[in-house]
Amino acid sequence: MTDYEKYAAQVALVKEECKDADNNEIAEEFRRYEEEFLIEPNDAVRSVILKFMKASGQEIKSISNAQTRVEKKADRFSDLGSEDKNVTIEVAVVTYVPRVQMVRGEEKQIAFGWIEDNPWESNDKRVRWDFKDWGSHSENLAPNSVVRLEGVSVNEWNEKRSININRSSRVTVLREGGPSVPPVSDEPVTIEKASENEGYVNLLARIISLKPDVIVKRDGSGSLDIFRGTFADSSGKISFLSWVPINHEIGDLVKIEGAMIRKFRETPEVNINDRTKIEKYHDNNFASTEELSEVTTSKIGDLRNGMKDVITTVQVESWQSRTFTNSDGEEKTVRSGDIMDPTGRCRLTAWCEIDPKPGDFLHLTGARVQFWQGSPDLVVDNSDQVSNLTDAPWESIDPEQHWVDIELSKLVTSGSRRGIKTKGTIVAIRSDSGIIQRCPECRRILRESACLDHGPQQGVEDLRLKFVVDNGIHNASLILGKEPSEKLLGNTQEAVKEIISKTSQGDFLTEVRNNYLARKVTIHGRSLVDAQGAMILAEGVTFDDTSNETAANLVMEEWGVLL
Amino acid sequence: MINQIRVGRQSAIRIFAQEYSDSNLPLEGVGEYAPSFIITKLGAKVNRALFGGVIDRFERRDGDNGPSYSGQLRDATGGIHRFQIAPFQPELHADAEELLARFESGDRFLMMMVGRARWFESDDGGIFTSFRAEEFCIVEREVYVNWLVETSEATLRRLSAYSASLGSDNNPEALETAGVPSDLIEGMILAKDHYGAFDPESYRVGVLQGLSMALNSNVEIETMMASSESSQSDGDLGPSSSSASEPEKPNSEPQGDVEDLILNVVRNSSDVNGIPYDSIVLACTEAGFSRESSEDAIEDLRDIKCQIIEPRFGFFQILD
Repeated sequence: MTDYEKYAAQVALVKEECKDADNNEIAEEFRRYEEEFLIEPNDAVRSVILKFMKASGQEIKSISNAQTRVEKKADRFSDLGSEDKNVTIEVAVVTYVPRVQMVRGEEKQIAFGWIEDNPWESNDKRVRWDFKDWGSHSENLAPNSVVRLEGVSVNEWNEKRSININRSSRVTVLREGGPSVPPVSDEPVTIEKASENEGYVNLLARIISLKPDVIVKRDGSGSLDIFRGTFADSSGKISFLSWVPINHEIGDLVKIEGAMIRKFRETPEVNINDRTKIEKYHDNNFASTEELSEVTTSKIGDLRNGMKDVITTVQVESWQSRTFTNSDGEEKTVRSGDIMDPTGRCRLTAWCEIDPKPGDFLHLTGARVQFWQGSPDLVVDNSDQVSNLTDAPWESIDPEQHWVDIELSKLVTSGSRRGIKTKGTIVAIRSDSGIIQRCPECRRILRESACLDHGPQQGVEDLRLKFVVDNGIHNASLILGKEPSEKLLGNTQEAVKEIISKTSQGDFLTEVRNNYLARKVTIHGRSLVDAQGAMILAEGVTFDDTSNETAANLVMEEWGVLL
Repeated sequence: MINQIRVGRQSAIRIFAQEYSDSNLPLEGVGEYAPSFIITKLGAKVNRALFGGVIDRFERRDGDNGPSYSGQLRDATGGIHRFQIAPFQPELHADAEELLARFESGDRFLMMMVGRARWFESDDGGIFTSFRAEEFCIVEREVYVNWLVETSEATLRRLSAYSASLGSDNNPEALETAGVPSDLIEGMILAKDHYGAFDPESYRVGVLQGLSMALNSNVEIETMMASSESSQSDGDLGPSSSSASEPEKPNSEPQGDVEDLILNVVRNSSDVNGIPYDSIVLACTEAGFSRESSEDAIEDLRDIKCQIIEPRFGFFQILD
């Protein structure tokens, strides 16, 4: 095979840019890159194009808009003009969504998504643009990575600018991101797999719930009829939102082609539009609705912000109602209470008339999850979503003792939860532990006797301790408010204040460090987990009471060590 | 769940001195706030560590920017954890002074410390690992033993991951299939590319020492503290070439005079800013001199004989 035949695909790309270059010369250049510089032909395309463009200086001029061919280096999107081509810029990849699109009658794999400039600075100093990837660079454009783009161009449409990443562009990964987004496949995937990334998928699933809904447009121009519901297969369930009518029924097994997975808050959701194909599917081996109840029923420990159509059973710990007047002057009643199941606890808010008693068991259907003060709570809107069970699904839980044991690593890598108990070793004592001043209006901590919102204030004193707990693999911030701090220190707030005033803040921290650093503790309270990491708000912290001998024996047993 | 990359705090790896001081593979972070790591032979990626031991050496050095401190904790494996407290950590200086007073009075005690991995590369490419202290305290035996148990478990976990990796290709998918826990995969790949074959059994011996101390803590820890005290009191009497308190036993008997060696090393350094302190010490220990005697000789040459100068803290040049 001649060089030209071997590199025909790449040569064709070069020819698009350098029409007069000689095929064999281009092919020879690719051979050199591959054999002498150890650069694969696909990675060398850009270099070869540049070389041939430079080699024929006159040719550059002969291209109609010569100036735009000159490489333009930019730090920020704001430096770019709408006509700029051959741009070099470093960006952070936010999303990468592959799809198949018809381009000049040919099915082509392209992708679109968001990129942000200024990738080494914090998010609030960045500007976000759309991009389109025409060159199948999915491997180098993984979400969360930072990349250098070379030879990309600016596209402007409807006064909105975006970046085109072309076949000949070069993408260099500067900081690795998450796993790269796999190209679109025609095969249906499991719901579990589909939930991992945003993008286009095909699914084979049963319709578990389906109901019409209405979206009122924000600009007041009217409303849109939509459909909401849930799909399930044996790997899990996922909510969907359809912009077009769904001509199938609850319980039907359907094949869904070309649906889009989008993240709503923390929860992936299937979006269905007029390009999505849904057809009835026959497979007697597919799990029935009854068999799917295992995956369609949620436990409190699994709740995530943004979940819809939640089916679950809970035990009521307490219940209150509150009346208020809304912005339209109507008097409304909201009922809420603390609820539990064996996996944890949360709050339930009801916008309907239900009045369970503490100790009652409720079965909820179609509930939704909302974040309130950082933890996922359940909401029901209609009383027909709630049924009071006469048969107890589990032995009644004592709320006083109900702390669900969760290993620190699991706690840190899952969602926010209430009612948890975990263990860890204290590896840091934060210097802002001790007596603090809070704003009397909003309880925020005062900085230099001033509140961010309420200006200079006479602060209200409070006591807190801030630690970091760690198990050698994961870590979390640990925050103790006044009561748990007093208990742990064995001192009242007043006493702590006196100690600090007699010595110093530094002496107080040394004392705390001497007593708690490197100690293993058992914590109960609630956890807040977000992209910044995990935080545990403790209701109580005690020293772990496992003896060293027991711990050593456990380790030897687990790892099969004999002394 | 949709994947999220968290740029949170690095967890404190539980690690014995033996495994950490055997390491010579730094991984420098790319980007402004990207963390750097020391990769151990067992694939641990150490940016921050929780370690402990009996205090073996502790001293203050006064530089232009303020005092700095350096010391060593010896743990159950017999190895030492070196640590420093920098001039730019004034919040730790008061506690460090207290520690120094206790140490200089001859008191020896168990300490726990959280530190960040750091290293020096000498001119000949040798890598010196140590920690910059973040938090430390003096602890009672129970707390130290608890750390021994946790660190034994963490080391066993890495040993098991290492043996699982032996029959596997060195890529993430294969290692995951072989059962290497996800937090160890990246470090394992780097470690296996860098380090040659070694016998992991020596790390298991360290674990056994740790666990047996946890089960009979009284006797063995007393012995360890006693031996440390005696070796230290030898050192206090003057420069000693005894290697009893040094884990990295010299391979051969020291040759020649340590001061000549130091002068040669400093003279031959190509770095116009001077040669780093640790590089000099490395050259001496590699030539068979003990760390103590080398350090004493450096000070002697700087303060008394005035043949070398320290124009910038921690870097030495010949005084012409």
